[in-house]
Amino acid sequence: MELDRSPISITFSVWKALFLRESVHRLFSSRAAWAWLLLEPMVHVAFLMFIFGVIRLRVVGGIDTAVWIMVGMLAFFMFRRTGTQAMNAVGSNQALFTYRQVKPVDTVLSRAALEGFLMVLVAVALCTGAGLVGLEVIPMDPLAVLEAFFGLWLLGLGFGLVTSVAQQLVPELGKFVSLLMTPLYFLSGVIFPIYLVPQPFRDWLLLNPVAHGLEAVRLGFAPHYQAVPELSIGYVYVFALTAIFFGLALHVRFATRLAAK
Amino acid sequence: MIVVKDVHKRYMTDKGPGKWVLQGVSLSIPANTNVGLVGKNGSGKSTLLRLIGGVDQPTRGVVERNCRVSWPMGFGGGLQGSLTGRQNAKFVCRIHGHEHDIPERLVYIQEFAEIGDAFDEPIKNYSSGMRSRLQFALSLAFDFDVYISDEVTAAGDAAFRRKALNAFKELAGRAGLIMVSHGEGILKQFCTAGIWLDNGQAHWFDDIDDALKAYKSSQTV
Repeated sequence: MELDRSPISITFSVWKALFLRESVHRLFSSRAAWAWLLLEPMVHVAFLMFIFGVIRLRVVGGIDTAVWIMVGMLAFFMFRRTGTQAMNAVGSNQALFTYRQVKPVDTVLSRAALEGFLMVLVAVALCTGAGLVGLEVIPMDPLAVLEAFFGLWLLGLGFGLVTSVAQQLVPELGKFVSLLMTPLYFLSGVIFPIYLVPQPFRDWLLLNPVAHGLEAVRLGFAPHYQAVPELSIGYVYVFALTAIFFGLALHVRFATRLAAK
Repeated sequence: MIVVKDVHKRYMTDKGPGKWVLQGVSLSIPANTNVGLVGKNGSGKSTLLRLIGGVDQPTRGVVERNCRVSWPMGFGGGLQGSLTGRQNAKFVCRIHGHEHDIPERLVYIQEFAEIGDAFDEPIKNYSSGMRSRLQFALSLAFDFDVYISDEVTAAGDAAFRRKALNAFKELAGRAGLIMVSHGEGILKQFCTAGIWLDNGQAHWFDDIDDALKAYKSSQTV
């Protein structure tokens, strides 16, 4: 054993170990566990495309409905999966706090990192598949897409950091937050375009940073897309960084409460 | 040197905070001392051990460890059922900063545990004996200044118990030991000093025999 490991080197080795452990668990814990990662967004997209096909809506805001749905869905999943995985990180890794090196916040960070990484792979795989069947899936402004995706990941991380503490302190809050996820799915404009909502309701919907993130991703894919005029990627980042700061502060404040039984 | 300062502990139950298990325990355990913990069931022996090992946090008070203290030996909470023995062992190596010599440690763990090919099976398929073999081997694979043990020598079949006991003797010679056991013989064999836990309070004895005597006299009354 190295006698004097600096705190930072301990933290890095813990992150690495947790990341590897989580990825093995997440990808290979059950038969073809990795397939479900891909299948969930695929089924969502296929189902919605079927519905939109029935009502014969081919174009939304100037871009192909299929691309519009797929991109929005992937962006929303980036937020939701990161958020929920990070939220449950502390609870499901409780046993690991046996080892003093592992702090609750480490499990949240490594889970969020893994989920973001997996979502990038899922997005690339899905876009490639869609490209093969002839959809226009090459983003016109790749940097804007990355910026928006990263913003959504940060939002998920901030959400996870705050809720992972909240859920441990008040277990009922966890259920409440899960209930909130379904309305959020609709309110973020995954399956209907926000620009169709009249004022003043649109302003209310746009208080939700996830809606901004989704529109920004779509705009990055097709610059001629009619995004909501109030779209602000800065809002996404400010919101996310505030949440992350708040979440980290909560983790510092309640570090011992979280690790205790 | 491990210093326990005014430690209080109670657990959260479904109906709010439970009873106090430890109420104001203060101790200092010198380096390289083998200490046995005695007390009746439910007196807080395992709780105190877990607090010293840092598995759990005190409700009030502090535990200072100025040396490398093991996690409670044979404690299996940190093992993930869906991962294999090897993957779990790798994880423990990594967080203890042994990234570079993982192969050697794995060989040691596999050989000591003697679980053969099961080392590459998911842990959830293990029998309880195989589990405790792996857990014991894991704790021995790292060098600590103080080892913590909760009835660990009672694990496994007769052959493994003998092997574990020998490893334990070797351990007691080179490092400090804090152990819980209901076996008087084991305590006398390994420990010099003793701690008697009673009513949430801890009493320190320089001689394990005195600790056992105090504990027994409290029981006969």
